[in-house]
Amino acid sequence: MENEFLQDPTLIQEFLVESEELLQRMDQDMVTLETTPKDEELLNRIFRALHTIKGTSGFLGFESIIRLSHRAEDVLSELRKGELQLTQRMMDALLKTRDQLGIMLSDIRQGGLKEYSIDSLVAELEAVRYPDEIKEPLGEMPVADGSLEPATLEGAFQEQATDSPDQKLGELVVEKKLASPAEAGTAPMRQGQAESGTGPGAGAQTMRVDVRKLDELINLLGELVLERNRLARITSDLSLGRLSGEDLYSALSRTSARLSFITEELQSAGLKTRMVPIETVFRKFPRLVRDVAHTLLKEVELQVLGQDTELDKTIVELIGDPLVHLVRNSLDHGLELPDVRANAGKPRQGTIRLEAQQEGDHIVITVADDGAGIDPERVLRKAQERGLVTAERARLLTPRETLDFIFLPGFSTVEKATDLSGRGVGMDVVRSNLKRMNGTIELDSRLGKGTTVRLRLPLTLAILQVLLVQVADEIYGLPLRSIVETTQVQKNDLHWVEGLEVLRLRGKTLPLLRLAHMFATKLAEDADSDQKVVILAVGDKRVALMVDHLIGQESTVIKPLGSYLHNCPSIAGATISGDGRVRLVLDPAGLLASAQGNVSQGSVQ
Amino acid sequence: METQTKTNENSANNTASLHVSGQGHGELLQLVSFHIGGEEFGLDILRVQEIIRIQQLTRVPNSPDFVDGVINLRGKVIPVIALRKRFGLEDLAHDKQTRIVVIEVKGTVLGFIVDSVSEVLRIPADTVEPPPRLGKVEREYVSGVGKLDDRLLILLDVDRLMTDAEDLTSAVA
Repeated sequence: MENEFLQDPTLIQEFLVESEELLQRMDQDMVTLETTPKDEELLNRIFRALHTIKGTSGFLGFESIIRLSHRAEDVLSELRKGELQLTQRMMDALLKTRDQLGIMLSDIRQGGLKEYSIDSLVAELEAVRYPDEIKEPLGEMPVADGSLEPATLEGAFQEQATDSPDQKLGELVVEKKLASPAEAGTAPMRQGQAESGTGPGAGAQTMRVDVRKLDELINLLGELVLERNRLARITSDLSLGRLSGEDLYSALSRTSARLSFITEELQSAGLKTRMVPIETVFRKFPRLVRDVAHTLLKEVELQVLGQDTELDKTIVELIGDPLVHLVRNSLDHGLELPDVRANAGKPRQGTIRLEAQQEGDHIVITVADDGAGIDPERVLRKAQERGLVTAERARLLTPRETLDFIFLPGFSTVEKATDLSGRGVGMDVVRSNLKRMNGTIELDSRLGKGTTVRLRLPLTLAILQVLLVQVADEIYGLPLRSIVETTQVQKNDLHWVEGLEVLRLRGKTLPLLRLAHMFATKLAEDADSDQKVVILAVGDKRVALMVDHLIGQESTVIKPLGSYLHNCPSIAGATISGDGRVRLVLDPAGLLASAQGNVSQGSVQ
Repeated sequence: METQTKTNENSANNTASLHVSGQGHGELLQLVSFHIGGEEFGLDILRVQEIIRIQQLTRVPNSPDFVDGVINLRGKVIPVIALRKRFGLEDLAHDKQTRIVVIEVKGTVLGFIVDSVSEVLRIPADTVEPPPRLGKVEREYVSGVGKLDDRLLILLDVDRLMTDAEDLTSAVA
């Protein structure tokens, strides 16, 4: 079994990247195959993918992968020849094989193959090829089933699949579901997450980049070299006295303009290499929806739109889990059972729409279902029970504001305990994940009609638009996306309320922070009038920040400050200014937090 | 091995920051020497990434006291630490001699401001003695004292220096 190639990490890395891609693709293809079992091309693609994995595994000496994929290949090969008809059991076995392969690959990534009890899975693959003979005996195979269970994540789902005849499946699942409905639903979910490939210990990260993007990059680099040569020429001409005055100026300004154009292009081309289509995230959903829908006995059609939309790799990695949460919520709490839907005059089959689309420098991802929707009344009742809102305050809330309670941490737990069919499992987690990506979440729900969740994400985390502000002799950047407005205020707009300085602006009261005080700069004189104020929005909170001057707008690349300075919460990072100096970018949330640190619960009521 | 032990004894349990070259007896330590407040310090040459002229620092508000600010080192933002402040010496206006010694400490690149950098020195490892009681520099950051003719060189243990700095940082928070 040991093989010299096993020692070569590059080969193994390549194998892993390739196989993981193939498996992801296979996942989607298999689910599609279920609806179009006659699609030969699809079948061939699945077969070829498996064959490739098997082939390379043989080369690298991964015996257990070979054994498993070989059996699955047998099944597929007979399907190809038309000797077998695709059944659900067969598909389950194939999908399970695919999952097992996924587990093996991630184990290899984490150090090496382990021991697997794949005997029952191999037997299952055998069994589906001879359905008539094996059907009955297999029902009595709990031993084999039991031996396989601990080795995998599949839990409930696996039992369901191995426990033979199709007509019993429903009852069986219901039984099991009544025991632990949540687990039955989450098992395939967890599986999906385990496969998402963002696992720890992944070592050096690699990604595939479209060659065209690299070509563009290299093309631009070539132009950069040309401009450098031109600049060198100008320098030498200057030293030889061949260039001066007006000529020198025009030569330099032309080159400088070209340079700035090229660097901008270069910047965007460089960033583009990090962009991957969101398809890599969306790909796992058909399978996930299929599995969860089966477990919950719901009929669901998943519509996936805008898979070509490109996003930064970091964001793509971070968005996977929140999306799984949301789709799961739609499946579990949103969509009703087929009969319930029919009674309500809706089609038996529910629809979940997963859509990505670009809006300016943002990406909007929509998860929409045509399910039962969220009942604001019930949410409100819950909120009152938990003392989150008073009765008189509750009456003033709009339905939308009411739905916001769902995002409160812990709100979901209560819902689950009382078995209220609202959603909310981990919605606070979804929101905080999005915050980390500088994204926002919007929820819109209509009772009986369905729920739509819209996630807004920045295209990339790397480039930031900032407003430059000055206090004393220091210049800071403020992220433009957090700025609501800039304005000038007079001294009589400022007041003190309970030890807090506030700004009255068009009838509203905002807490006021003086950047000079917070940062203990050399104090500039407090002007009596026309003080510059930047209004920042952090979530739904507003805060006014007083500065000396507003300088202008700039797009910058933000860099981390490093570990020794991580205790400065008001600083988000640094950028390099035109003259090569470091300029700090402020973190509005951190500013607000440090301001609230002094005040605590100022405006929470 | 023998020499390793020797250095170990001498340098008060830190060999990591000392680069020993040559073999057998009479091996040499290669050090970069610099001055702070009238005293001469030595730093293992392999620890030093580069030495740059002082440049405009950007102050980081609410950062620990001894962090003077950050600078742009070819597109990378690195914190700069004023060794004078770290040692409790009074501030000195930067001049033409002021240098930033760039060192990697536990995976982080840092700059240390020193009054001046003088030269690269080789001193025999067996002249290094354990740290005596020192006046201005707390002795924990000193891994030993080297002798060269009539000069005394304080061998600095930057890892220790920054470990304590981290403690300080967390204390500030």
